[in-house]
Amino acid sequence: MSTFDALREQLLDAAEAFSGGRDALPGILSGMVDDVDRVLREELEIFPVCHHSPASALAMTRRLRDKRPKVVYLELCEDLRPLLDELRNCRLPVALQAFATDLDGFPPGSGPLSVVAPVTEASAEYQAIAYALETPGVELVLVDRSVDHVFQWLPREPDGPAGPEPAAPEDDTAGHGEEAALHGDAVGVEIGDLRPRFAELEAHLLHHGKVRHWSEWWDQYVEQPLTGADYGTYRQAMALVGSLFRRLRPSGDDRLARDEERERYMWTRIREHLATSGADPADCLYVCGAFHAVSRVAEFGLASEAPPYTVTPRTATRWLYGLIPSSHSAIEAQFGLAQGSVSIAAATWAKAATRGGVTPYRLQGQKGGRTRSRAAKSAPPAPPVPREPAADRLSGFLATPPALDGLDEDELRGWCVDIVRLARRNGYLASTADAIAVFETSILLAGLRGRARPTPYDFQDAAVTCIEKDVVPGRRDVRRLCEILLGGDRIGTVGYDALPPLAQDVYDRLAPLGLDLSRRTQQRVLLDLVANPELVPCSDLLWTLRYLLPDDAVRPIMGARRLGERPIQESWDLAIGRHQRSIIELGYEGVTIEQVLEQRLRRKVWDPRATAGVALAAVEDAILYLGGRRFTDELGNRAVELLAAERTVDDAPEVLRRIRRLLAHYRATEPDLPAWCEAFVTAGYAHYCTLLPTAFADDDTGVRQVGAMLGFLFTLESLALSLGCDRAQLELAVRQSHPEAPAKVALLWAAKTQLGLLPRDELRARCDELLANPLVVPAFPLYLSGFVQALEPVPALAPFVVEVLSKAFARLPDPVLLPWLPTLITTLRRHAVELVPVLVREAGRTFPGTLAELDAWTPPWERPAAPARAARSVPAQSGPVAGLLVRHPQACDAVAALLGCAAEWPADGGPQAGDPEVRGLLARHPETAGAVAALLGG
Amino acid sequence: MTNEMLRAPAEVKYAEELDWLESIDDGPKPFSWRLSPRMVRLFVLGSERSDGLDREISQKWFGDRSFVERSIVTLASDRGLLLIGDPGTGKSWLAELLSAAICRNSTLVVQGTAGTTEDHIKYSWNVSMVIAKGQSRESMIPSPIMTAMEQGMIGRFEELTRSTSDVQDALISILSEKYVSIPELDTDNTVFARPGFSIIATANSRDRGVNDLSSALKRRFNFVRIPVVTSKTSEAEIVRFRTTELLRRHRIELDVPPTLLDILLQSFADLRAAAASAASEDEKLESALSTAEQIGVLEDAILHSHFFGDRTLRAQTLGGALVGSLARRAPEDLAILNKYWHGVVEPRSKKDGGEWTNFLEGGRQAISTLS
Repeated sequence: MSTFDALREQLLDAAEAFSGGRDALPGILSGMVDDVDRVLREELEIFPVCHHSPASALAMTRRLRDKRPKVVYLELCEDLRPLLDELRNCRLPVALQAFATDLDGFPPGSGPLSVVAPVTEASAEYQAIAYALETPGVELVLVDRSVDHVFQWLPREPDGPAGPEPAAPEDDTAGHGEEAALHGDAVGVEIGDLRPRFAELEAHLLHHGKVRHWSEWWDQYVEQPLTGADYGTYRQAMALVGSLFRRLRPSGDDRLARDEERERYMWTRIREHLATSGADPADCLYVCGAFHAVSRVAEFGLASEAPPYTVTPRTATRWLYGLIPSSHSAIEAQFGLAQGSVSIAAATWAKAATRGGVTPYRLQGQKGGRTRSRAAKSAPPAPPVPREPAADRLSGFLATPPALDGLDEDELRGWCVDIVRLARRNGYLASTADAIAVFETSILLAGLRGRARPTPYDFQDAAVTCIEKDVVPGRRDVRRLCEILLGGDRIGTVGYDALPPLAQDVYDRLAPLGLDLSRRTQQRVLLDLVANPELVPCSDLLWTLRYLLPDDAVRPIMGARRLGERPIQESWDLAIGRHQRSIIELGYEGVTIEQVLEQRLRRKVWDPRATAGVALAAVEDAILYLGGRRFTDELGNRAVELLAAERTVDDAPEVLRRIRRLLAHYRATEPDLPAWCEAFVTAGYAHYCTLLPTAFADDDTGVRQVGAMLGFLFTLESLALSLGCDRAQLELAVRQSHPEAPAKVALLWAAKTQLGLLPRDELRARCDELLANPLVVPAFPLYLSGFVQALEPVPALAPFVVEVLSKAFARLPDPVLLPWLPTLITTLRRHAVELVPVLVREAGRTFPGTLAELDAWTPPWERPAAPARAARSVPAQSGPVAGLLVRHPQACDAVAALLGCAAEWPADGGPQAGDPEVRGLLARHPETAGAVAALLGG
Repeated sequence: MTNEMLRAPAEVKYAEELDWLESIDDGPKPFSWRLSPRMVRLFVLGSERSDGLDREISQKWFGDRSFVERSIVTLASDRGLLLIGDPGTGKSWLAELLSAAICRNSTLVVQGTAGTTEDHIKYSWNVSMVIAKGQSRESMIPSPIMTAMEQGMIGRFEELTRSTSDVQDALISILSEKYVSIPELDTDNTVFARPGFSIIATANSRDRGVNDLSSALKRRFNFVRIPVVTSKTSEAEIVRFRTTELLRRHRIELDVPPTLLDILLQSFADLRAAAASAASEDEKLESALSTAEQIGVLEDAILHSHFFGDRTLRAQTLGGALVGSLARRAPEDLAILNKYWHGVVEPRSKKDGGEWTNFLEGGRQAISTLS
């Protein structure tokens, strides 16, 4: 006869009474009892837990103390095991993290993958971990699937990253901002996930339990009754709850398939371990969620005769492991718990442990939390209690109302006084009278809700009722203050020793600043780099961190890092402590911060979508943050490759801007240009010359891009020619260009003018012609846009651009001019740096400076053209030189023809010109002149 | 008696239910309450099967349970209860239900207006009687609040923030000392509140700043903020509940088709969304778009179709009623409604057809009549 026969019979009778025994109810009820029975009869002791449950933690501590198992099997990803030893260096809560960016075997683009498993002090698993690590001879074995399997088994979405969304928080108040976001977008795993999988079941339980959210229900109906219960009752009740949720679940739930897979995995690992270590199952304890404790997979139990389960191999993805800070609110946000519930659980655990006289296990050297000196080990080891046969504790437990704690007046009074003090500090007009009212209201509310003792949630409601008025005076309302009071959000930090080498290196290198980097507040630091040159490396590091970390981690208040600038003073706002996770995650990418930066820059330029502009930006960053020629040369050479391979000219403006800056930098700092710069300029010259005709004709290429190409070709021309480029190439390209768009036509004219292919007068005549032609006038603004863009590549054309603009303003009819003005303004605004100074300077030169001058002012282009200066025939010097020229006139004639002058030679020697004194001198000493003439062959 | 009243107070209307609840109530009752707090909650929020009662108690107020619980508990403590919220969120109805359940009298009401004086809160004199017999308790006219004090009942103060600050402050001593002294009398000149006395005040959060409560008075009230109902299902429930009641009151037999109810709820939801995203006051309807407003629109449409139509509620009439009740400021509100009608209702009628088309027609007509 089984232990639970009586209970089973009772439940079947109830099923009969309620449903007439027709539907599934009897099966479910008796099945639940069977499940519990099976758990208890299993040879390996199974300890069912629920996450963030003080009752679980309490029962665990007691059981560990009684049983003193030699091996503890824990439901946690097996590859996280090495991290557990580092827990002692941290202030809890922290999360164990596995992180992968180099994916192999997962769909590309789904990375980076990240898994977190938060650990809090008030949890059963921490007790188990602390016991196992602190007690000599005890082995801790993690048996759950590896993190790689976590992602392998996740349902794949057709595209986009794998991984479930973090569960939505239970109440509509969003988490507390950044603390809640501590885990980033990682996938959370936890021990003992226990919650109805039917939304309807949960809603039903909440409704009839007259509670607001799941955490409150759990606290009231499971947590509190079990806190004081003995181990047998605890185990049976937990298994029963697990079985209930397992049996009442939506059909076709793919989570169950995953869970069963995990159970097979865990049992297989346990059996393997038992076989290899030869441990006695009686000395082992298997800690798993209550849901898994009542598993019905064939592999369940040591006596299972199921065929061996083959564990699928991991993918080749390289996983990196580390600890990151976590917080209560991050855990709540990650697992969809009500705001404040983990904090309340932590407070309940602390209280229950004190009241129950239990000394919790604690890792030695563990920071933070309660520092009780009495180590767990100091308690005399109780003789291991032999396993008693399971007796039916359930019947009694289910039949009697839960023995709730009586009213703890002192505690409640303490809360009431504290909340009033806290409220006052936050701007509320609260007084002692309010404390009394909160006390009274809490008790009344608890009574109305059928509780002997006000729960923290009742207290919270009472405080809101009595203290909250029509407006919230400060930043926090009473509800939030209550959460702070009842434990508040606790944020963990990872201790220095548990940090990855990169993070340690960052902390070491920032040490000269003399800041406490573990503080979560923002800290201001002032660097006087002239007075304290030893701080320069710190400044370099800060700039690198600024580049790599999220925006508000390190923020310069004063100071900038640009090419060609040397910092004198800098002022920074540092929030390193708050962004510890980001630094730790950088640690997964490399050993030093420089290495990470180098890798990132390299990845950027080798990306298939990288362009020459991106590569030049990377070069600039490398100069700014890393220095050294080797790496910049590598990036620069890549830039040359990218430029040569480019088929579009979309980022020509970017390329032009950056290469100009880099050239200026190298000219100012180095004796000669790096080879890649020269290669870039020659390659760019050839590249843009080749693409110029296409760019002019192509409709998809904007005027701005063509303007930038011309800018590159004209402004870097002298350098390019000195490096062996051929100007004919450019001329040819311009001649081959036949744009149709008016703006580009204007640009082409400008280019031709620059090259001397189109005289200024002809250009002016063409524009006047356009303005005079009523059919073309509507398109004239487009020509203007082209001329404006030409300001950058052909700055010499600025007077003409001012002229054309002035004419357009004067002559264009308003319906044509006005719609274009916004375009002009936005263009000028967007490219203010390049265009506006040229235009303004030229306009200033052209237009009168004062109002008075305006009346008499005529635009330069309307002034009567100065009469063409007749070629003054300057009487040539007589003497040997003149004689020489007269004898050989061909060269002068050719030059004159080239210059467009008529070559006139004086018929005779003409009057003697020159200074009579010089002439006298020459006459007196003719030897020198004679010798020169003889030398010239005269 | 119910039949002779246009609107029976809750204690009369639900007298039978209250009697029954009182007969089965075995919970502890504070002071002289007629029902225990749990029964009060049951009366307001209705019963469920799991309560194990022999008869069903209907739900009378729709909203979060914790609001009701906090209100009840406040009344059992020595502070007054101030229900605060947007107009039409059911504050007064909750106050009425609570006083009906607790002391079977919800009519001890002072209406706060700009003209409310201290006499309305404390007492005044029957002038002719004073001339005839002199000042005595007999010639004194107690205010509803004073009556509530004398009888240990719940006094109600509607729209507390509409009355001036000095009048409001008359409540301070009533709430803290729990007595009113009558200096005009030589003997018997103090009225002490009997156990069970408390005050439920309501205040409109839109009136904030008109006559702000002094902090001394704030301290003596517990505030319970009643939010606007945003859940569509509970709103539909409220509208249905209230209209049935109205129909019964007007003795009209007329069905409200569920499609029309949907149209009404949907259009209010749309207009609320528009109001929430409006940049300035001019882009918002003047109406708060509360649930009560919806009931008003529906009632309007029902009465119209009952008396002037063919006794069937039609979408056209509903459209007209909606425009008629919401267009309050001549150019602004009409412009918003016009925009709504053209931008939202018209496409929807093209897409969904059915009643939306008639609704569109009715609204259009009303807009053109008004503009």
